[in-house]
Amino acid sequence: MTQIGFYFDQTRCTGCYTCAIACKDWHSVNEGTPGLMRVGIIEEGKFPNLFIAYLASPCYHCADPPCVKACPANAIIKRKSDGIVVVHSDKCFGNKDCPTACLNACPWNAPQFGPEPGSKMQKCNLCLDRLEQGQQTICVDACPMYALDTGPLHTLQKSYGNIVEAVGFQNSPRFKPSVTFKPKPQVG
Amino acid sequence: MREQEMAEKDVTIVPTGCCHDCGGRCVLRAHVKDNTIIRIETDNGEEPQIRACLRGRGYRQRVHSPDRLKYPLRRIGERGEGRFERISWDDALNTVASELLRIKETYGNSAILLAGGSGNQGMLHGAIQVGRMLLQFGGFTREWGAASYEGPLFASMATYGTIRTGNSRDDLLNSRMVIMWGWNPANTIWDPETNLYLAKVREKGIKIVAVDPIYTDSAATFAHQWIPIRPGTDAAMLIAMAYVIITEDIQDHAFIEKYTIGFRKYKDYLLGREDGIPKTPQWAETITTVPKEVIIDLAREYATMKPGALIAGWGPARTAMGEQYSRAANVLTAITGNVGINGGYAAGFMRAYSSRETASGTHGSRNPVEKGAPPRKDSLHKLRGGTNPNSARIHGSKIFDAILRGREGGYPTDIKMAYVVASNYINQHPNTRRGEEAFKSLEFIVVHEQFMTPTARMGDIILPVNTFMERNDIAPPWLGSPYYIYLNKAIDSLHESKSDMEICRDLSKKLGLSDKLSEVSEDDILRHIANSRDDIHDYNAMKHKGVMKIKLSEPIVSFKEQINDPKDNPFPTLSGKIEIYCEHMKEMNNPLMPSIPKYLSHKENYDSPLAEVYPLQLLTTHHKTRAHSTWYNVPWLREVESHSVWINSIDAAKRGINNGDMVDVFNNRGHIRIPAKVTERIMPGVVNVSQGAWYDPDKDGVDRGGCANVLTSDERSPGGAFPMNSALVQVELTKQA
Repeated sequence: MTQIGFYFDQTRCTGCYTCAIACKDWHSVNEGTPGLMRVGIIEEGKFPNLFIAYLASPCYHCADPPCVKACPANAIIKRKSDGIVVVHSDKCFGNKDCPTACLNACPWNAPQFGPEPGSKMQKCNLCLDRLEQGQQTICVDACPMYALDTGPLHTLQKSYGNIVEAVGFQNSPRFKPSVTFKPKPQVG
Repeated sequence: MREQEMAEKDVTIVPTGCCHDCGGRCVLRAHVKDNTIIRIETDNGEEPQIRACLRGRGYRQRVHSPDRLKYPLRRIGERGEGRFERISWDDALNTVASELLRIKETYGNSAILLAGGSGNQGMLHGAIQVGRMLLQFGGFTREWGAASYEGPLFASMATYGTIRTGNSRDDLLNSRMVIMWGWNPANTIWDPETNLYLAKVREKGIKIVAVDPIYTDSAATFAHQWIPIRPGTDAAMLIAMAYVIITEDIQDHAFIEKYTIGFRKYKDYLLGREDGIPKTPQWAETITTVPKEVIIDLAREYATMKPGALIAGWGPARTAMGEQYSRAANVLTAITGNVGINGGYAAGFMRAYSSRETASGTHGSRNPVEKGAPPRKDSLHKLRGGTNPNSARIHGSKIFDAILRGREGGYPTDIKMAYVVASNYINQHPNTRRGEEAFKSLEFIVVHEQFMTPTARMGDIILPVNTFMERNDIAPPWLGSPYYIYLNKAIDSLHESKSDMEICRDLSKKLGLSDKLSEVSEDDILRHIANSRDDIHDYNAMKHKGVMKIKLSEPIVSFKEQINDPKDNPFPTLSGKIEIYCEHMKEMNNPLMPSIPKYLSHKENYDSPLAEVYPLQLLTTHHKTRAHSTWYNVPWLREVESHSVWINSIDAAKRGINNGDMVDVFNNRGHIRIPAKVTERIMPGVVNVSQGAWYDPDKDGVDRGGCANVLTSDERSPGGAFPMNSALVQVELTKQA
């Protein structure tokens, strides 16, 4: 199996949120629902000695995804062919009949529910529709800074190194997130 | 599931672009099904790709917003009350035509104000269409001065005699140092390739310094060093840097001798021979709060690490003495010999590639209302290009005062009606409440709009206008990058909306005007425009692809010819040299328009008596989720960052304000009420309300929308800058009702 993974160059991210909006547009996620790609901001220090970083968070399509195990409806599947973790929303019990077990299990809040009672889980599926057409994910193609990439994890690691740490990213090594970063250095 | 939808047929992908008044013009590819945009992609073609930002990517929610103005409206309540009735296009245009004719007949054409903006644009659409029509109708009154850049434009003309002063961004890789002075392209784009180049500059190990009262996204991402500076004092720091450079004798002697005039006069000012005050780093530290050691180090680095690019952003020039900052920056680039060389940068207006003609016209006027009016005495009227100095024009910041006081107040006319097009006029001009008062006093207001903005709400007749997704046009890039975007019509006009051009064609007929272009198609006019330019060789290919990228054989470096061969290529100034000293300004004989750049204080400065009442300096920056007030009503973008006033934790603590608390921001012009964002990213003593939020006054006149211009001053700088970053305010925790 080839595990598809994700790369984020944190040194280039200006916090423009273009990836997040492009994702909401492509996947028709309404306002009010956290996106499948979220951008967080990390602010440290006191004036005038500051450090700011942004962290783009999609789903890291773990090698051992906790959401799959947590789901009482068996609605989440890790695809054998490429390791992409997908949800079959029709099977999902929804946030009224389930305590959003997948969201609670995921350290990175990748599974998301809308605010309405009964809404079903949505998550990043690495734009399977685009992938099948030989295209990159919408976020990768959107980023004006070329700070994102997806592809076979081992290829990403070859190109960018294998660093599973970034400012604001709390690793949970036991789940083996399929990601590599170029972290923003804390000094200078 | 989503992936099956993708395989659906009858989805067409239309190459178009994003065209409002931000710092980009970017490629969009609209996926269209049943006259509905179902999703949007960006450039996927050859490098360099012109990738849209979040504004363009969120455009679907703007085009298909339930709040779009759907049909013509007539006011039925009091003006500004917001009560309207639906009417037919015929009724609406008949009313507009009869009011235009009545006002022309009663008061003359100068009573008609073209309140045009840049909110809806292209080569064919927007305010230009109304301007064409009103010219044929016998003329109109218009404003002069661009809120964005009038200070840098004035300074660019005074120093260099031109606005073509920029280098293309690829040339930044030739720099050894880049100074981003009051410049935040991460939010304002500044042509779409800029941010990627700044990342590459940093990755190449080139030092980047940010000078800004705010730790901006640009500073946080690109800069090695952040120098916070007190707003409105940038000129003092630049002048002190010049002092360091000349007292240490590290200026470029040969360059100064060969290419500039007036160095000695400037030196006299710097050394205090003119006013007894040497412009030392200590002097500047007191004014700017920047430690003198920091000023000295930056001056030395910039003067000796050549070539260096000092990019002087426009924000610090949107101040009460704005052109002084811009001139001081221009002069610093010149005395260090950084003009006209690879890796250097001349500051100035900063256009590189000239794909549009903003402010490059001659001083004549085809407008009958302006015929024979002499040039303004405080203009650079002896130069070609720059701002049209015709004295029949009224400065944009004084339009509301002009409406209210007219000829009795010393203005050239009495304005009786406003023709508003492509502009959220009262929201985006300084002193919004005075704007509201002024608009309420007019006899008639017609508004072309897409949404019920605070300005549209003042209209008597509102005409629904389509978006760039609903028509064909060409978008030249914003300031000066080498490309054009063809805006292919993606969907038919929604509801009953029409383009500005269609409206003007219909209205012209009712006014009895005969327009020779009235029967020519959009496409034929665009083809004609394209053919008249020598850099568009294949109109059909541009239209088909939606974009045409021009390959530069080498980076554009403004003034390369002047530097390499000064004999045959004088600078387009009156002296033919870079004017550190400007004789044209000397002739104005105004101490507030000195012939050399100076630091000048003003009545709303940090140390003015007014600061005892309103102790905080207000900035009104551009926000990353909108272009001025456009996009403010797009839900996807609103939730990226909620509108707030940024305040430093020290100032917040003094006032008992916690992050997220509702606060009142006010001065003697107005009062807004919005949440506070308590942050370390802004200097103590400074607060920021990003401009563009929509004015929404409650019954007590408190603006709950948080429109920054409720607080800004309508006193222009002597050179014409709009002082949007020179207001003093107080902030208080909102009292519980």
